Amino acid sequence: MEFCFLRILKLTMKVLVMLLLFLGNIRNSAAYFSSSSEATMHTNNWAVLVCTSRFWFNYRHMANTLSLYRTVKRLGISDERIILMLADDMACNARNKYPAQVFNNENHRLNLYGDNVEVDYRGYEVTVENFLRVLTGRHETAVPRSKRLLSDEGSHILLYMTGHGGDEFLKFQDSEELQSHDLADAVKQMKEKGRFKELLIMVDTCQASTLFSQLQSPGVLAIGSSMKGENSYSHHLDSDVGVSVVDRFTFYTLAFFERLNMYDNASLSSLFNSYNPNLLMSTAYYRRDLYQRHLEEVPVTNFFGSVMETIHTDSAYTSFTNKNFGGAKTKIFLGQSFSSSDINSVRNSDDEDQFNNLTAEEDQHNEVGQCIFCAMDSGHLWSVIIGNVITHESVDFFVCYGLVLMLPLLVFSTWLSL
Amino acid sequence: MEEISNFPLNPEPPEEESPQSQMHESTPDRKTMRTTKPGIKRLILSLTVLFSFIIGFPFLWKSIEIYRAPLPFDRIESFSSQLESDPLHFPCRFQAIFVGFDFSASRGLGPNDVAAAITRKMSQLNPNSSRCGNCIGGDYDVSVVIDSGSSCAQTEGSEAKCPLKCGEVVFGGKLSDEDFDEMLKRCLGNVGGGGKGYSVVVFNGDKEEGEVRAVVGKYRHAWVLGHVSEDEAVSRTAEIFARVFMNAGSEGNSIRSEFMPVGADGRIVLSFSLLNAEPQDWIYDWSFHEIDKTLLHPVIQALQPIANITVESQVLYYTPKSSFSYWDDIHGSHIFSTKDLPFFLNSNEWHLDTSVAAGGRSKVLQLVVYIPSAKECPLQLELPNGDLSKTNGFISPMWGGVVVWNPESCVKDLESKDPDRRVISPQNLQKLFEVLMGQLRQLLGLKSDNLYVGQSGAYILLGSERGFTEWELDVLSGKHVCFNLHSCATTLGSLSRLVQSLPRMIIIDEIGKQVKFSLEAAKFAQSYASTGIYNASAVSSRQARSLVEDAFFHPSIMSISYYSFEHCFAIYSPFFLPVTMHVILAALREWKRYKQENRKYLAWKAKERIVS
Repeated sequence: MEFCFLRILKLTMKVLVMLLLFLGNIRNSAAYFSSSSEATMHTNNWAVLVCTSRFWFNYRHMANTLSLYRTVKRLGISDERIILMLADDMACNARNKYPAQVFNNENHRLNLYGDNVEVDYRGYEVTVENFLRVLTGRHETAVPRSKRLLSDEGSHILLYMTGHGGDEFLKFQDSEELQSHDLADAVKQMKEKGRFKELLIMVDTCQASTLFSQLQSPGVLAIGSSMKGENSYSHHLDSDVGVSVVDRFTFYTLAFFERLNMYDNASLSSLFNSYNPNLLMSTAYYRRDLYQRHLEEVPVTNFFGSVMETIHTDSAYTSFTNKNFGGAKTKIFLGQSFSSSDINSVRNSDDEDQFNNLTAEEDQHNEVGQCIFCAMDSGHLWSVIIGNVITHESVDFFVCYGLVLMLPLLVFSTWLSL
Repeated sequence: MEEISNFPLNPEPPEEESPQSQMHESTPDRKTMRTTKPGIKRLILSLTVLFSFIIGFPFLWKSIEIYRAPLPFDRIESFSSQLESDPLHFPCRFQAIFVGFDFSASRGLGPNDVAAAITRKMSQLNPNSSRCGNCIGGDYDVSVVIDSGSSCAQTEGSEAKCPLKCGEVVFGGKLSDEDFDEMLKRCLGNVGGGGKGYSVVVFNGDKEEGEVRAVVGKYRHAWVLGHVSEDEAVSRTAEIFARVFMNAGSEGNSIRSEFMPVGADGRIVLSFSLLNAEPQDWIYDWSFHEIDKTLLHPVIQALQPIANITVESQVLYYTPKSSFSYWDDIHGSHIFSTKDLPFFLNSNEWHLDTSVAAGGRSKVLQLVVYIPSAKECPLQLELPNGDLSKTNGFISPMWGGVVVWNPESCVKDLESKDPDRRVISPQNLQKLFEVLMGQLRQLLGLKSDNLYVGQSGAYILLGSERGFTEWELDVLSGKHVCFNLHSCATTLGSLSRLVQSLPRMIIIDEIGKQVKFSLEAAKFAQSYASTGIYNASAVSSRQARSLVEDAFFHPSIMSISYYSFEHCFAIYSPFFLPVTMHVILAALREWKRYKQENRKYLAWKAKERIVS
């Protein structure tokens, strides 16, 4: 009896998968991409650097992020254009033998937590919600400019993330996860609103490449420290500090950048080629199918530095000479009576906040986020189903139909039980 | 159920049966018939429960419903499709006045033919007529007045006085360009009504007058003085109309967003910074208040329709530049070249962004005056051709501009221990401000210089003390209206796609209102534009854009902060599903039982009838 039931279930699942594939195809073909008709000049650089891990033993993640912060600052991105998110404060941790200092190397030559480190989001402020708000730009009105990503159509953005991740997710604060489709959704909205021209996503976590699988917005280049099923390892342990201080992928990235200064013209491909899988103990993964330019022609300073487009000012505007500057002169303002349209400005109501409370109830998966735990070990059919479903992005459909399918099953089982 | 358990040995007996049924001896088979009507109490009870569930369902549905303010999707759709198919156009009225020409004698051309020739030439110069901001219908309303001295002819419908009354003044006295401009404004008045007509006056001079002088005034007039042929007069007129008045001398036809440095909320913050690279050598201060009051204020007033501009200023110390410079003996100064400009900005030491005056989505434009240290003084910018820059400044689009200002004497006062405090003199400050003004114009996509060299010669562009001439403001307004409306339409499109793709997203009333008002403002902008009221159109379009940006970036829209339908289902189904199943099944069973019992009763009834 039960066996028969299972067979029926399997059969219906197969039918369902076929249906899903079909629907997925329809949806894909109808997908809409807004494309800007004219190419905009690259005018500015932004960097969003995120460390998502709490706790002392994750010291290296903060060191990773601060090292990148130091590098992009050295290469010319100004502090107001760097959003630095650190999920914990290792410098002031009671277990830190070097108070107010953070090192990324056991030689302790370079204190990453020296002068002028502006942390924009600190500690418990680093949440998935805040991260997505930074990317999409949906902030409360009171959020200061320094905490906002005020990029535009001409911006190149570097998004660096490090922490513990797994198959299609990145753990935040040991309590919530950023999932690959959250990231893809945010990036899609950014593209839709013209918040970047080009975006480089660099992720140093276990199975980092899986985080990019849902991305579909043009102009995005992604690089991850490891392939699916691989771990990213730390580089070395500092016996004085007592924990590992840097991850391998970030260590070799920094090693590449230490050789460069602002004027250098090293290309992205030279950076990508500098990763040696034997040294990383994982395979660095690049996703470049969404990126139009050839990597050989793109200098790394396009993302990791800030090289401004400049235009020389040919001449001054000399029409003020007839003005008696400093003296009291009556000026003629031509009556600028613009009939402003009779639109009442919309009231800034205070109830903007009321939905933020809901975020905590976001549907979270129960699997705990260390990479080691996230191996998939379900049956073959399930892996087929999930594989198909995920490639066709119709997870919503899948769940919907699954629930609908549950109904008759429930009826059936209740009937049997009576 | 309990009643059934009363008859454990016999599962089938109808519990409603009364002892009366036992009296019938004639009952042959209790399995197929019964003598009494089946009771309906249990049926009614179970059906009542079922119906109360069914009736309660809409209430439950209502109580878990998500509030979504209605968005006018069809209006959004029609607005963007309309903007796409029919770009915004402004009315164009041009008037050409030829004084001292006789087209009919030399060429046999009437004023209408000349107008047609000008229109043709303008279309050649400005081929892309469907572009947003162009003239309505792609054609130019050109009227022509030809005053040959003896006779005067004009196209029909022209409102100008014929013959032109102030012609004689021109050849008599030598007027300065500014006075001439004022005089033309006086005697031409507002050509074409509505005050938005542009006019070009061509005065034919004698051969010995020397070179031809073509000037574009600061209102909406231009004039050409000197000996020009008829053909040249026509082509120059057309060029002034098409290139200067319509495009402000810019070559590109497209509206480039990097020269639209207006924040999404319609604000610009002009942040002026005076950087003392090395305060050990000298410390300069400026009387910024004076600049703000006398020079900056009119500029801000002039730009009011385009952006709401606020000003802030600061003086910073210890701000070395980050690029290199070298000593050059020929120029007698330290030199930095245009190649170094991208690296000039020292983002680590220049803490320019004070962010005090600027709201979340405002645009901050940095205008920086850099005073070099004694070590690198004087500091000059060398152009690629080897010349020194006249302005010593450069801009970076969407960021701002930098001017290097060298103190008059680069000799450091070595004796005094106190810092050498100085103030930039008003004359120098004014010169500096002129450069900064040129940079602001560049940042807005205009030219900093006052000369336009076209195909048929050079034109002097008179400057206005407001920083922007009226015709330049018209062009700027037109471009901003186009840009704002286009950006408004795309944002609305993105918003409606986003909202439709997330059916469980809460849309609060404020978003709905913002979208509605934005659409209304956009409508106003379009209607003002079609009547040629540039300022009002710019203001409305700005409002439309800022409202829709507010709606799109509303903090309540966050994809992780609301339930999906599955989530909702998963929450409520454990409460209701098990109970509902049993209620439905019970009702079904009761119904079945009733039918069965009823059939038995009917069978018995039929049998009775036969028996009787």
